[in-house]
Amino acid sequence: MPDDALTLDVRNLSLRKGASAFSQAIRPGEIVGLAGLDGHGQERFLEVLSGLKEPVAGDVVLDRAGRRTTVTSFRTAVANGIAYLPRDRRATGIFPTQSVLDNFAISTVERDARFGLINTQSRRQRYDVYRQRLSIVAPRPDAAITTLSGGNQQKVLLARALALEPGVLLLNDPTRGVDVATRHVLYDVFRDLARDGMALVILSSEIEEILLLCGRVLVFRDDEIAAEMTGEAMTTESVIAAMFGRAA
Amino acid sequence: MSTDGYSSRSAALWRSMGFAALLLVVLLAVNLVLNPARFHPAAWGALIGLAAPLIGAALASAPVILGGRGGIDISVGPTMGFVNAIVIQALFLKAGMSSPFVLIPAALLTGAAIGAINGFLTTIVRIQPIVATLGTYLVLTGVTLTILPAPIGPAPAWLKSMSGPLSILPLAAIFLAWWGIRRLPYYDQLMAIGSDDRAAYTAGVPVTEVRFIAYVITGTFAGVAGLMLTALIGSADPNIGATYTLIAVAAVALGGVSLAGGRGGLLGAAIGAIDIFLLQSVLTSFNVSTYVLQIAYGAILVAAVILTAVQERAAKRERA
Repeated sequence: MPDDALTLDVRNLSLRKGASAFSQAIRPGEIVGLAGLDGHGQERFLEVLSGLKEPVAGDVVLDRAGRRTTVTSFRTAVANGIAYLPRDRRATGIFPTQSVLDNFAISTVERDARFGLINTQSRRQRYDVYRQRLSIVAPRPDAAITTLSGGNQQKVLLARALALEPGVLLLNDPTRGVDVATRHVLYDVFRDLARDGMALVILSSEIEEILLLCGRVLVFRDDEIAAEMTGEAMTTESVIAAMFGRAA
Repeated sequence: MSTDGYSSRSAALWRSMGFAALLLVVLLAVNLVLNPARFHPAAWGALIGLAAPLIGAALASAPVILGGRGGIDISVGPTMGFVNAIVIQALFLKAGMSSPFVLIPAALLTGAAIGAINGFLTTIVRIQPIVATLGTYLVLTGVTLTILPAPIGPAPAWLKSMSGPLSILPLAAIFLAWWGIRRLPYYDQLMAIGSDDRAAYTAGVPVTEVRFIAYVITGTFAGVAGLMLTALIGSADPNIGATYTLIAVAAVALGGVSLAGGRGGLLGAAIGAIDIFLLQSVLTSFNVSTYVLQIAYGAILVAAVILTAVQERAAKRERA
């Protein structure tokens, strides 16, 4: 495990006035799943982790080998090693008028600058690394992003997030509307990333996906964590029961 | 690979301003037949000088429009008029300063300052751009008339030469500046914001700063356009500047820059402006009245926007 691995420390967090607070630690190399019926707080939790939304109480602290930073805004989160992949690819993900390459590079534009000017060669090289790793199928890097299939658009967005070289990757329903073959490519990538010491938090609307990928699941109900399960205890039945507020 | 890249880029260029470029060729041919003397290479300096303020106004209008979310600066025309008045009335005639090393920076700074005010109003106070810049439009028109109630002249000789043999210089300066900007990380961020600002925000782009800077760039370019206007009229006139605003927006739209943002560029805006200038030239050589000229502008603009939309829809169907 690398020395600069990030731990996400959530302390006494409350997502809604009156909802009970909870604490969590998300450690390097871990894949944590977030489940729940739509609108029960799991998405808000993910947005709070990314700094996009403010919690009602409590805070999110990033711990990098003892050096602690509180996440106060999206920008501090990104600057300190958090990457966030938004849910609605069409509405808040891709730039439809831009090329695949520009869509990939937008979060990391500064890295291609040589004496302040963009070096297209270096950008293409960076993109090629992720194109191979995520097996992105795109005719040309300068083709419009809208010429790609949904799955490949999603891979470009993932490449954009990974280009930040984050310590924590927050994924908001990453395989929504993505074909089965692409899903398995993504699952393999997620597992590899975790093996390399990244902490991943995956919100998914599909329980099977969480069971397949995650070592731990947090089930949300009424903006609170209704259940936390690991290993053998994680089954479709037990997760669904917790989602609906019944004892398993 | 490189030829592929080239062909796709030229295809994109064609998609965005094919109609304007086609119109350019046709209008140029018609003008050459009608006015061979006026379009003779020896007269190009004066010809470009005549078209320069409109081209400059169109170039200045483009950056904020590219930034999207209703970004527009209708104070570009009055900014040109204000710069015209400041340079001639306040600096040249009253303070006796005629050096280009004073007047050019003064024009650029004035433009940049107005751009910064517009940027502050639209991105930080968050007033809708059209309302905010309408406010600046009215204020600037009034201030210009206050410091300069009636036309006055002359302009320094070096400045007047900028509408003659050296008329290409200020335009080249704008293009050179934009060529530089296109190579900065800033340009990618501007186009991303114009394409989808919410997506840009979640991708970590500092949306407010990038938009603010776009207004400053627009203001600075408007300052240069103000100098071109001053060079052309060789004097200061409080009433001319404002007339450039709407026709510049028409030129930008004609040149394939989407008013929704994120699509197009300064080359298209310039071609749109040249189209309008050439159309003007054709119609006046037929002794058509200025009212008909207005009708022609309007008709051409609507036709261009419709054609662009049709082209875009066809391209979308092709992809689907």
